[in-house]
Amino acid sequence: MSRPANTPLIAAGVAAVGALILVSTTVYKVDQRQQALVVRFGDPVAVVTTPGLHLKTPIDNVLRFDKRNIDLSANQEEVTAADQQKLVVDAFVRYRISDTRQFFRALGRESVARDRLDRIVNAALREQIGRADSGDVIAGKRAQIMAAIREEVARQVEASNLGIQIIDVRIKRADLPEPNQQAVYERMQTARKQEAAELRAIGDQQRKEIVATAYEEAEKIRGEADAQRAQLFASSFGRDPSFAAFYRSMQAYEQSMGRGDTTFVLSPDSDYFKYFQKGPGG
Amino acid sequence: MPWNDNAGPGPWGSPPPGDDKNDGGRNKSDPGRRPSGPPGVPPPPIDVSELVERVTERLRATFGGPGRGKAVMLGAGAVVGLWLLTGAYVVQPNQQGVVSTFGAYSRTSDPGLRYHLPWPVESVERVPVTSIQTLDIGGVPGAEVPAERLMLTGDENIVDLSFTVQWRVSDAGKYVFNVREPNGVLKDVAESAMREVVGKTALTPILTNGRGQVETQTRVLMQQVLDRYDIGVYIEGVRIQVANAPQPVVDAFRDVQRAAQNAQSAANVARGEAAQVIQQAKGYREQVVREAAGDAARFNQVYDQYKLAPAVTRERLYIETMQRVLANSNKVIVDNKGANAPVILPSDTFRSRAPAPTAAPAATDGVAR
Repeated sequence: MSRPANTPLIAAGVAAVGALILVSTTVYKVDQRQQALVVRFGDPVAVVTTPGLHLKTPIDNVLRFDKRNIDLSANQEEVTAADQQKLVVDAFVRYRISDTRQFFRALGRESVARDRLDRIVNAALREQIGRADSGDVIAGKRAQIMAAIREEVARQVEASNLGIQIIDVRIKRADLPEPNQQAVYERMQTARKQEAAELRAIGDQQRKEIVATAYEEAEKIRGEADAQRAQLFASSFGRDPSFAAFYRSMQAYEQSMGRGDTTFVLSPDSDYFKYFQKGPGG
Repeated sequence: MPWNDNAGPGPWGSPPPGDDKNDGGRNKSDPGRRPSGPPGVPPPPIDVSELVERVTERLRATFGGPGRGKAVMLGAGAVVGLWLLTGAYVVQPNQQGVVSTFGAYSRTSDPGLRYHLPWPVESVERVPVTSIQTLDIGGVPGAEVPAERLMLTGDENIVDLSFTVQWRVSDAGKYVFNVREPNGVLKDVAESAMREVVGKTALTPILTNGRGQVETQTRVLMQQVLDRYDIGVYIEGVRIQVANAPQPVVDAFRDVQRAAQNAQSAANVARGEAAQVIQQAKGYREQVVREAAGDAARFNQVYDQYKLAPAVTRERLYIETMQRVLANSNKVIVDNKGANAPVILPSDTFRSRAPAPTAAPAATDGVAR
């Protein structure tokens, strides 16, 4: 605690504080997600894209920008397709700050960039969709149309030298406006009604077809039976038509009149009464 | 954030002694640098006061005894040791740790107890990688999001569809560093991919048997887009949860189903009737043919006998038949020779007798059937 001992202590303290200040003004950190722009009195003097610790002069200012793939959702727009059909289109853009210096000069902040991009994307959407039929936007050529929009946006961004790289532009939704939706619902309903009617008619037709086919087959079977019967009778009764007639008559008499509900008024002259009348000599 | 990351493990993390020695050794080249680290000097105020104390102690030691110097060194070592301890961290089994050195990505660490250089040098972010995460588009039952559900199909119909995307992080580094708000990206890409695929597909397959195809195509398309973004995400699968006709046309669709059912049942009923008709005809055939065969056979038998004695048989058949016929009947015998007067029959003559039993087949060669 002697006097001479204090002097180096103070000196060391001053040196330490000085070193701290120096380090804090000359060393800066850049995150993996970021890129930095070193600005000296408003003038961008260096672009730093490698993350880690870096050195600068104490008079420099460091601005950090995102290096990642950034999202921009375009506002929902009602766009008219080439066939005059209106579509509500919802798109999103993915971009990246590719040239920090240029980005800083042309746009400065991300919010400004969003406004610019939004306008460019909307114009491109209108132009490309305006050239296509609504059906193509919804269905067949959506991929091509998206590619065309992407190219268009990329071209314009390139031409405006914004320091931005367009990674992708995708149509998220392409829907019909509300009134047209109702029309679609009606069309779907009528189409379904038609389908239902057709199905019922087919059912009816099938039913008739099945029944008629069965009738046809049944009659064939019956005819076959009748034919077989005729053939059987012809082959047996045909051996002696006269006896067959007699035999068959006897059968018929018995079946038609022998059931107890017939009253016979007979003449004793009939053959049956031959002996009844004339006795055994008959 | 890195502050938090380091503060956590400190108190309980006790790195293996080897580690401690190692870093203690390495530390010897460091101490000059450490206090000169960026502003907001390390953690708690204790540290600061100790630092001051340490400096004074050292100065005192310079002019004091050598024993004091030893104590100072011990104190400083303890502080440095505590600081080093804050670098320990645990990666859970389903995670990977992404370690940055001064903000720059340096390595990805696997599950277990790990170590990184303490703040402010390194920091870690833990990302779940093996666990499959789900993303519901169109809401879940009870909390639907109609705007996300209604989609135009390739045949310009509208379908009400909700689906789930199953995904996992395939590259933790890419997932953390390459894309801003990766979860929002997934949702946007999922929606746009599904709508693109549905826009190419007709309504009926989406509602019926084409779902698998829609799911596969959406999965492939999503993966392509995400790979282009280099987001480090793998799409495990896309599952359509609900695919319906939109509410206003649901009834019409149900009616189609009813109609199909009706047609089916009409055909079934008809098939039943048809089988019955044919069965009846077959019964008829059986009956007719067998009876005819029977009749013919019987006739043949009788005829064979008849040929042996025609007159006798004929006579006999006649008389027997008449007998059977007349035995069962009312009879009025009128001798009409010379009887010109009208015959008055009693009123009950024509009343039928008691219903006669069906004529029993004659015992021998009778003709009754």
